Amino acid sequence: MNLALIGINHRTALLDVREKLWFSDAELPPTLTQLKNQFFTECFIVSTCNRTELYGIMDVQKLQGNSESIVKKAGQALVEAKSASGTVLPQHLYRSFGCKAAAHLFKVASGADSMVIGDIQILNQIKTHFNLATAEGTVGTFLNRLVQTALRVGKRSRAETTISEGAVSVSYAAVELASKIFSNLSEKRVLLIGAGETGELAAKNLVGRGVASLSIANRTRSKAEELVQELGGAVVEYDHVEDALPGVDVLITSVSSPQYILAQDQLRRVMKARSNAPLLVIDIGVPRNVHPDVNKLENVFLHDVDSLSRIVDQNLARRKAALAPVNAIVLEELIGMRQWFESLQVNPTISDLHAYFETVRSDEVKKHINRFSEQDRELVDLVTKRIVNKLLHLPTTNLKNGNGESAEERHKKIHIIRGLFGLHKNEPAEDDNEVGRSQ
Amino acid sequence: MQQRRVQSSQRRDVAHLINDRGSRVRTIILILNYTLPVLYFATVWSYAKAFFRNSAIAKWVKTPLLTFTIVCHFLYLTARTILFDHPPITNICEILSVLAFTTALSYLAIEYITKVESTGYFVLIISFFFQLLSTLLIHEISNVNPVLRNNLLGFHVTSALLGYSAFAISAVYGFLYIMLYHHIKSNRFGVIYDNLPNLEKLERMATVSVLTGFILLTVAIIVGIVWLPRAFEHFSYFDPKLVGTVIIWLMYGIGLVAKQSIGWQGRKIMVLAIVGFAVTMLSLTVVNVFLSGFHNFY
Repeated sequence: MNLALIGINHRTALLDVREKLWFSDAELPPTLTQLKNQFFTECFIVSTCNRTELYGIMDVQKLQGNSESIVKKAGQALVEAKSASGTVLPQHLYRSFGCKAAAHLFKVASGADSMVIGDIQILNQIKTHFNLATAEGTVGTFLNRLVQTALRVGKRSRAETTISEGAVSVSYAAVELASKIFSNLSEKRVLLIGAGETGELAAKNLVGRGVASLSIANRTRSKAEELVQELGGAVVEYDHVEDALPGVDVLITSVSSPQYILAQDQLRRVMKARSNAPLLVIDIGVPRNVHPDVNKLENVFLHDVDSLSRIVDQNLARRKAALAPVNAIVLEELIGMRQWFESLQVNPTISDLHAYFETVRSDEVKKHINRFSEQDRELVDLVTKRIVNKLLHLPTTNLKNGNGESAEERHKKIHIIRGLFGLHKNEPAEDDNEVGRSQ
Repeated sequence: MQQRRVQSSQRRDVAHLINDRGSRVRTIILILNYTLPVLYFATVWSYAKAFFRNSAIAKWVKTPLLTFTIVCHFLYLTARTILFDHPPITNICEILSVLAFTTALSYLAIEYITKVESTGYFVLIISFFFQLLSTLLIHEISNVNPVLRNNLLGFHVTSALLGYSAFAISAVYGFLYIMLYHHIKSNRFGVIYDNLPNLEKLERMATVSVLTGFILLTVAIIVGIVWLPRAFEHFSYFDPKLVGTVIIWLMYGIGLVAKQSIGWQGRKIMVLAIVGFAVTMLSLTVVNVFLSGFHNFY
């Protein structure tokens, strides 16, 4: 495979370096065209906040020099396209070739290489950027196949393993906890006290899950009003929070206050007023806002930052455990990809073509051999063999010589020949495009 | 009475003479009797594998396997009814088998309605043990109380048994609720936390089970009170089984009213579901084993 990869990611460079190499959707097309003209027969770029990676098919015959130097030059061109040569240094960039590069893309698509393992967004980003490259006309048979396979790897990893299961941030852990207690969040009301960032995020996620209502209380009322503008809901007076509590099912507190803002007695009264209906209290404040004894009350579930982190840690561990099955999927798809690629080479195609003609010939000879006399039979075999060889002679030499065509053109030709004679035994059915589209 | 018994045994003899159907049915019963516990074990095992080990094969196979088991069990009970010419409620082993069947059937209905598939292990293990006991202890009774051949009685007993299995299931869900409740409270986020449905759903499942059980028991009591005085010469309203059942009925009734009017919910009402079932079991044992009345046949 003449596939090459050069890229930068969260493992090789810090944010202030890799942000210099981030391409917006508008910047991608011209860069792709320029890179394709200079170095590749096909190329495409994935660029997210955690990585920028350039995948290209090199035409070594056309360009003088070895693949290593071509990729280095392409890397330089990539850096120069963003005028980042001062910040992005050679040691920030990694390179790989052939199957290793393909395996890397598959791993990226599966989420195994993400900063937060199992991140779902990366698959959409690959798809968007691939569509950009397709529109720009910088991808062909090979990269198309590669990216469709990568998208399938991503889809399969999510469906068949636990790589993207469970909440992996404290604010999502709060939502997960709420859905372990309540079955229908759209009937539940949320109260947020304070305007700490994590608390705000947790409230935002709950609103995203479609809770019935959100109210916000804050010591400085204007801050609460600002949040209401953003998230919707209503403002509750900070001093009258206890009156609002009986109507609330999920309470999030993130106030910076040296003392507890809610004591056991207060919540006992609240529980009585709400006829003991279950109440989830998420205390994100440090130091804690709610007295720990509150957890002793019946049907009150009090969770602080530590217990939310425990959920996060556990989910991360589970995602890590999915790495082995994900690698198995990557390997499986890589083998399929390799088989397809090999089938596009000249020599296997020639031998497959000869084998196909030989099968047809020998079958026909066998069928009719009894019509010939004993002494003629050997001759019949010889003559038919000669005919077949003569017929195949010109196509075979033409295929072998190639007449100075590019690798891309040759692949296309082989693809057509294989299709014409039904030699596509190594190629899976053409459902890959659908897989990509349904993502 | 004597006459009826003679008649029915004659009927059976005739059937036997005509096409030897009886012996074939007998073979089916014999085979199913030993197959059922194995099937229940396989079902429980696949539900356990699905819950604790997250096994994909077990998840795929468990519900079809349960359905197959229930169909076999139904065939078994039908075959018994045909061969012995009475509903399979004439001795404690038959009752156990029917209880296993009704529990499994109720569970399947719950799974179908709620789409919650993870709790099967905890419920079906009851069916397995009931059927196992029944298989090991069952023997044919030649002398069946003729009252028990009545079909209305079949209805009376079936609704009572379905009611009790609904109570059993509610206790299981109550138990699961309490387990998950304590796991969440004490920050234990393990298999139980991952795989059980949420607390609100568990509470609803337990409540619906209690309600179903209560309705079925009401039916059983009404049919009993209307029909029993006509069937038995020694009928008494102070029969221990009748009194016991009414007490159980009252207890669950009060619980349901309390939930509705006082608004008891969460842990408290789930503890009640468990206690209620424990009292029910205790009362049934005491009535059937230690006390006697017109109502006892075993």
